Amino acid sequence: MNKPTDTQIDGKTGRERRRKYARNAVRAAMLVAAALLLSASGEWRLAVIVPAASPLTTVTSLLATRMFQLASLVGLSVAAITLIRHRLFCRWACPTGTCAECCSMLNRRRLWRPKLPRVGQWVALLTLGGAAIGYPVVAWLDPLAIFSGSFGVLHSATSPRAAWYALGLATVLVLSVVWPGLWCSSLCPLGAFQDLLFRLNLAIRRVMFGKRKRSKKRATVGLSRRVVLASLAGVALAAMARGVRSAAGRVLRPPGAVDEERFTGLCTRCGNCLRACPANIIRPATAEHGISGLLTPELDFTDDYCREDCVRCSQVCPSGAIETISREEKATVSIGLPQVDMDLCLLGDDRDCFLCRSMCPYEAITLEFCEEEYTLTPRIDAAKCPGCGACQTACPTAPKKAIVIVPTVAARE
Amino acid sequence: MDKPINRRQWLTRMGTSGVAGGLALAGADSAAANPLTKPSSFQSSIIAESEVMANRASPSIVDGKVIQPARELSVLHETDVLVVGGGPAGICAAIAAKRAGADVTLVERYGHFGGLWTGGLVLLIIGHIVEGKKQVCQGIGEEMMRRLDKLDGAIVDRRAGVAPTVDAEAVKYLMVEMIEEAGVKVFLHCWGVDAVVNGNDVKGAVFESKSGRQVVLAKNVIDATGDGDLLAAAGAEYQRRSHNVGLVSRIGNLDRVDHKRAKGARKPKHLGRHTPVPGVNWVNMHGPEVDGLDVEVLTRMEMNHRKFIWRNMQKTRSTPGYEKVYLVETAPQLGVRMTRVLKGVKTVTLDDLRKKTTFPDSIGVGGSSAGDHQQWQIPYGTLVPEKVDNLLAAGRCISAEMRMGDLVRLIPNCFVTGQAAGVAGAVAVNDGCRVRDVDIDKVRKILRRQEAYLG
Repeated sequence: MNKPTDTQIDGKTGRERRRKYARNAVRAAMLVAAALLLSASGEWRLAVIVPAASPLTTVTSLLATRMFQLASLVGLSVAAITLIRHRLFCRWACPTGTCAECCSMLNRRRLWRPKLPRVGQWVALLTLGGAAIGYPVVAWLDPLAIFSGSFGVLHSATSPRAAWYALGLATVLVLSVVWPGLWCSSLCPLGAFQDLLFRLNLAIRRVMFGKRKRSKKRATVGLSRRVVLASLAGVALAAMARGVRSAAGRVLRPPGAVDEERFTGLCTRCGNCLRACPANIIRPATAEHGISGLLTPELDFTDDYCREDCVRCSQVCPSGAIETISREEKATVSIGLPQVDMDLCLLGDDRDCFLCRSMCPYEAITLEFCEEEYTLTPRIDAAKCPGCGACQTACPTAPKKAIVIVPTVAARE
Repeated sequence: MDKPINRRQWLTRMGTSGVAGGLALAGADSAAANPLTKPSSFQSSIIAESEVMANRASPSIVDGKVIQPARELSVLHETDVLVVGGGPAGICAAIAAKRAGADVTLVERYGHFGGLWTGGLVLLIIGHIVEGKKQVCQGIGEEMMRRLDKLDGAIVDRRAGVAPTVDAEAVKYLMVEMIEEAGVKVFLHCWGVDAVVNGNDVKGAVFESKSGRQVVLAKNVIDATGDGDLLAAAGAEYQRRSHNVGLVSRIGNLDRVDHKRAKGARKPKHLGRHTPVPGVNWVNMHGPEVDGLDVEVLTRMEMNHRKFIWRNMQKTRSTPGYEKVYLVETAPQLGVRMTRVLKGVKTVTLDDLRKKTTFPDSIGVGGSSAGDHQQWQIPYGTLVPEKVDNLLAAGRCISAEMRMGDLVRLIPNCFVTGQAAGVAGAVAVNDGCRVRDVDIDKVRKILRRQEAYLG
């Protein structure tokens, strides 16, 4: 600390004050930049940067999928920086943190704040532990995923359920008004993850340079115990969650999605896929497919179908829940298979509807004529059909469509 | 036999005898005017053979091949715009061209107008309603529907956003009335078999009829044959497609089904949908996907379908409660859905439909058969062949991508393209230009004056 000078105001030196201004300016700029990246519809690809900038998401994704994607570089660079400068990301960049702090300022009275254990650290460790066996338990608590999700509000006109993703940020903001600073200091898993990273750095330095400080020793022992316990709990939880999922999982996922067992764990609920979709067919799932699938992206072919030349959702997924696929691969990536209900199908009533066949972009539907019954029945060539849903979109029967896409697992049964 | 059948039969008989009487009278008129007829004491008279038939030269076998000698064809008629085919597209084309100020001749293969709409018993008008309740087919098509509204028992379900169903006989009658009002010269029972072509210019068409092989010369020809017979004959490029070929029928006494007795039993299949005649349904048939231009295939279809319809009716009648249901009729025309499709200057594509592409030369708007589907503009180029001149396509054979085929062939879309082709043909005649160089703004202006909707 410098000597007290004339410029000292509120216990701060001029240099600190300038630093604070600079920091606030950078944070505001970061907030604006993040908002621009998420809302720029022309440059939709860039949206991936925001949630992928989280080192927690990046590390869990790398652990769980063992696949490296370009966006991981952003998260890894942030991780490298925070390794050197403790919580640098929180202080200079985190848009959720900036919003939370603004809300904290609303509360001038600074009421009672609960003394919580390091919830964030447990969450981060649980997630990392789960990621080790492919199911990051609560990856969706990442603040950058929460921030990205809130931009679903912009799309609420075209897909009303998109606004649900904003619940996360709303919760954080309300928490911050009621208990200022609580989110950032003890709840945020990303903050806690940065703590862990920094401690890891300290430990490494100690080992390498032999710098020992007695006072830190106990804390380190406590921390390592916590790390082991929490990670193991994460593994156990992940194993349980995967067990439950495999029984319930029959949901239509975006093309390129990893298997259902891991999907609900990997998905950070950032809403990027939903906002990137030009056809607006991705919507957040309700709890109908199990609580673990809540708010995960689900396809709805009622009004539109999955475009044959579009791979946007796979390019904006920060966590690898939807693996990046190319346009060429698209036709071979299966979403599901159509099932026809001949009691509803207009062909069963001798009506001249050939829409499913006409609208199929992959020419996978043929109409089979039965000589005995004199009826036409749609037949689907499973080898050609990726389950894009064009047939379901086109099907004119109401309220129930005669042809619907069901997940491949369910279709095979 | 039951009383209602008797009553119906009585009515039917009265109806047919009335028509027959009318025809007989018309025949008597023309016989009186015909100088070839000589009075006789018998009921029938001896008629001198016409020149066409007298001068014909039969093919002979030369070196094992059947050779038809070259010969001069007699010109039956000369006209501005010749419309080949009297279905929904042909009728609209003829009336529109006449109203646009051209001298028009219509030639039809059967003895009635309406094509598959009436002769094929495709009684449902579908594909003109989009986005809820908007009707995109206006113009002469809508005029016909309005006039059917005024006829007793001619059309049902004429409500906003609903596809109406017509009575085939009412449509046949109305078309005669409208064609006569418009003043179109008509030849029925004439099968267009060839085009008269000079280089790339179509100069008319050749017809085969009971009067022999004759020619109608014209400044422009509109191919409304559905099968694109004239397009093919004139050497225009086209694509040949297979589609389902069926045979529609009508069944009666559905209002006398005993639903109490029918309870529990499996409901018979192929009962169809209601028509303006109470208790009578029209029963659509898909049939197998075949080449609708192969005469052997058509023969097999016709015979198989007849067998099936009869046998299926026996099955229906053996179902408890359905004993009184009977087969009223099978359609005079086989339900051929799609055969030749023109390769036009432009082509309607599904992509354009999805992207809602608008065309500066839009001559009408098509709809789709399904509830809330989009409208799509039809550019003039889809009627114009790439190479051949003075020839336009109208109806289901206009230039359309495979996927659009099932939308293009719907009746209201045939009304729309027919009317446009008619107006374009008339404008070309009046301006003395080729149909491909026609002033499209003028065509659109006249179409609008004729109350067509162009998007």
